[in-house]
Amino acid sequence: MKLKTSYLSAAVIAAVVIAFPAFLGAYPLNVARSVMTYMALAISWDMLLRSGQISFGIAGLFGLGSYASAIAVMRGGMDPFLSILFAAAFAGVMAFALGFAILRLRAMYFSITTLALMEIFRIVMHNLHDFSGGPEGIVLSAPIFGGNSTALYWLCLAGLFITIGVSWYFEKSKMHLALTAIRNDETSARSNGVDIFRYLLVAFVITSIIQGMMGAIQIQSYGFTTPETAFDANFTLLPLAMALLGGIHSTIGPMAGAVLLGVASEWLKLKIPYGHLMVYGIIIILVILFMPQGLVGLARRMLRGSDKSGRKAGASHE
Amino acid sequence: MANKRNATMNVALITAVAAAILVWRPTVLINGLQSAGLYASIAIPMGLILGIVHIVNLAHGEFMMVAAYITYMLCAATGMDPFVAMVPVALVTAAFGFVIYKLTIRQALKAPELNQLILTFGLAISMTQLANLLFTSQTRKLSFDYVSASLDIGDLSFGVYKFVYIGIALLMIVGLKLFLTRTTTGKAALAVGQNPRGAAIVGIDVDRTYGLVFALASALVGMMGAVFITSASIFPAVGSPYTMKSFCLIAMAGIGNIPGILGASILLGVSENILKAFRGTRGWADIVFFVLIITVILGRSIRGKKA
Amino acid sequence: MKKASAILAILALSVPAFAQSGNIKIGGTWPLGDITGKQGSMAAQQAVDEINAAGGILGRQLELIVIDDELKADKGAAAIEKLVTVDNVDVLMGGMASGVALGQIPAMKKYGKIVISTGAASYKVEEALGADANWYFHLHPWDYNQGASYAQGWDEIQKKYPAIKIKKLFLAYEEGAFGKSSFDQTKILFGEGGRYVVDGAPFKSAAQGGGDYGSMLETAKAFKPDLFLWAGYDADALPMLEQAKAMKFNPGVYLGAPPGWPIGFQNSKLANNVMLYGMWAPSINDISAASKKFYDGFVAKYKAEPATYFAPLSYSAVYVYADAVKLAGTTETNAVIKALEATKYASPLGQTITFTPAKIIKHQGIKNQKILQWQNGRQEVIWPFESATAKPVYPFPKWK
Repeated sequence: MKLKTSYLSAAVIAAVVIAFPAFLGAYPLNVARSVMTYMALAISWDMLLRSGQISFGIAGLFGLGSYASAIAVMRGGMDPFLSILFAAAFAGVMAFALGFAILRLRAMYFSITTLALMEIFRIVMHNLHDFSGGPEGIVLSAPIFGGNSTALYWLCLAGLFITIGVSWYFEKSKMHLALTAIRNDETSARSNGVDIFRYLLVAFVITSIIQGMMGAIQIQSYGFTTPETAFDANFTLLPLAMALLGGIHSTIGPMAGAVLLGVASEWLKLKIPYGHLMVYGIIIILVILFMPQGLVGLARRMLRGSDKSGRKAGASHE
Repeated sequence: MANKRNATMNVALITAVAAAILVWRPTVLINGLQSAGLYASIAIPMGLILGIVHIVNLAHGEFMMVAAYITYMLCAATGMDPFVAMVPVALVTAAFGFVIYKLTIRQALKAPELNQLILTFGLAISMTQLANLLFTSQTRKLSFDYVSASLDIGDLSFGVYKFVYIGIALLMIVGLKLFLTRTTTGKAALAVGQNPRGAAIVGIDVDRTYGLVFALASALVGMMGAVFITSASIFPAVGSPYTMKSFCLIAMAGIGNIPGILGASILLGVSENILKAFRGTRGWADIVFFVLIITVILGRSIRGKKA
Repeated sequence: MKKASAILAILALSVPAFAQSGNIKIGGTWPLGDITGKQGSMAAQQAVDEINAAGGILGRQLELIVIDDELKADKGAAAIEKLVTVDNVDVLMGGMASGVALGQIPAMKKYGKIVISTGAASYKVEEALGADANWYFHLHPWDYNQGASYAQGWDEIQKKYPAIKIKKLFLAYEEGAFGKSSFDQTKILFGEGGRYVVDGAPFKSAAQGGGDYGSMLETAKAFKPDLFLWAGYDADALPMLEQAKAMKFNPGVYLGAPPGWPIGFQNSKLANNVMLYGMWAPSINDISAASKKFYDGFVAKYKAEPATYFAPLSYSAVYVYADAVKLAGTTETNAVIKALEATKYASPLGQTITFTPAKIIKHQGIKNQKILQWQNGRQEVIWPFESATAKPVYPFPKWK
């Protein structure tokens, strides 16, 4: 019964989101695209986090996808839409190859290595002047679908839906058990016969495919990128912050966090033209301090609080 | 025994390489050491926090930026030299770091590590943007004659001032070593760093120790920020590139290995300058850093597996 | 029923009339976190206030709506969408970084609103615009305009002052898009016909976490240039001079081309007689009444000096548009484009702005930059000679 209502409400929300272009103008659709891009990145990052591996390389795979797609169109004459699939596959293959080396690392050392790889990708694109356009970047002849706001919105939404779908599958399948087991106690997971490396590799490759795909959608939508845009550290840090502010180890948490920060950043910018980023930083600090479990944790606590009134809300802290 | 022989071999090898570079391109070694000193002296305070409080402080560079602005205002108003100003500035930043610790980081210590990371990310944004509102993005720089101090050897003229950063890094290393091994507070801090629960059981006040370490690291960053303005321009975003660099250097040295940070910095600074010495490889100098980090980390993990 | 349709008819008739009688809306996008865009937007507001105080245009008031582009292409594009579809602005204005402009162009093309651009120097922007963008009015010179103008400037300076002899030119350029394109243009334009020998080396700007110029200066010193030029940011200005002094690198002309200079640069002993490329300096107040009016107004209003030429340029953008609307008698796009083509605005930059064709686009405003020199704490204009405020001091003094 409960399951059915949740499916139903998800379907209703999806239908409304698909129909947005019918009643929203070009500007809200543009903001929505940015929120959705970050949302997909935040979810994909969380998917790997469920195994305990903290990646700092989102921007690396995002940028790699951007460049793979742009170069395929520019140099290979590939169809722009096809280039998005190509870029996703390319990011997946790269992740597969790199995964053999770096997935043996744990904790901070894994994080730093992914960060360093991102920088290496950026420097390579920066220096291969003739191939990648160098520091001045790549300008495509036109954005995909002629820059039509509705079509671009649906393209980005499709990327997001795929991400949410995969993340849900991760939550419901035995992938979930395996990743949680690795996160909680790697040694006992191994002794219980979980092939840790294989599961990590699958998770790393799939999340990288998503990040590469979103990067490709981004470049094809704006028709332009540079190494500093494609590999902007904000594509790593903001999804992290969003997932954390929403609540990690879930699909809905990063989604909530992306809406919160994405909308806040745009709204603040219009209200406080000079100095909006400072307020943005303060919001991040306050949410971390007062909602350590994120929005989802807070909602859960409030629900529980109303069920068993009398128990202190802070009890679920650890 | 084997270890000792290994160490002797390493020292001999390094000396040989350094001598070869010195003969071949003296400036590679000079410039390399000078930038290494700067990298190391900024990274060491971060390494102290990471080693004892176990927090990756993404606002590390911003602490230095704040110190640099305080020094700038002080020196511009009074005509004081930054090397004199570094004493009051260190006191101010120590207090500042302590307050930031008490108000924010302490509250997040119980939360997962990631929360602390994003908390400091929020701090970094807020500090940069506040500086931008107060001072604008236009850069500031005071001029000091001694910065252009020069030495001639044959046809070669080069600046010697930036060697001061190597001196600062060495002072920090020796000072911290003495503090952590000779003083009661330092020993307590070291114990907390190795095992906070165990330290608490034997009666060490963990929270107080964390606060102290944070204040001490902030004081060191404050001193560094004061000296930094002698040779570099300051602007609100001046600190942020150093955060990531410091983080990587600490990882390369291994957490808790403070002298190792200087070693990693020298390896990095000299390698960067080798690439910069050639026309064709000049643009690739930045890549050395990241390739070295990955190599060291992977190498260590493979060796760890074998042992 | 009849009444209702009558009301509807009146409404339908009055809507366009209302649109013509409300404020004239200017939509501006600048990087507000950067001194260039911050002061650019402030100077545009100053112009709007001045025009409104004098009674507005066609009896209507101007209204400036500014959105921060955050130096990001996607944010800049979203800002254009908002200004056009939500705020219904009559004209778009602003801009600084080429990277942002490249992200905005698809949205600009979609709407075809008049754009008066105050930035975006990269030739890639012009290529992306194409020949059909007759609504795009580009005030800032393109990178190749700047290169050509400097080549012309140095030719003329050498002719007028025979003591100045320049043959070998070294360009130190920051490794980002700005420096790289400066180097490419300089190599092409100065290398032409073998008049000059050009070499260069990249460096990582202190603005990007670099600031070590040792190996670059070593290459420069070995080349023994007559003219040393660096294209970087204000953060590089003094540290590079200090390092050059330490290395005893003493070129005949020491010239910088950053978008702005650090606060207090002139107080350094090393600063005197450094040359610079630029479009405006407070010294132009001596030769231009428009510059003086702008400068005094800005200082009175904001209690700060305009730090870069983006301030007078953005101020000019508002006046250029206001004059065109006055001439056209309407804000209707085609009529205003016609009127803009007839622009003759004596700008605070010390020169009259007109629009002429560039390589691809039809409406290019300023094409030349100025060569200036720091003399006793002031930036004096050396070239073009018609707006010169001082004679060049040559050679760059020996280090003491």
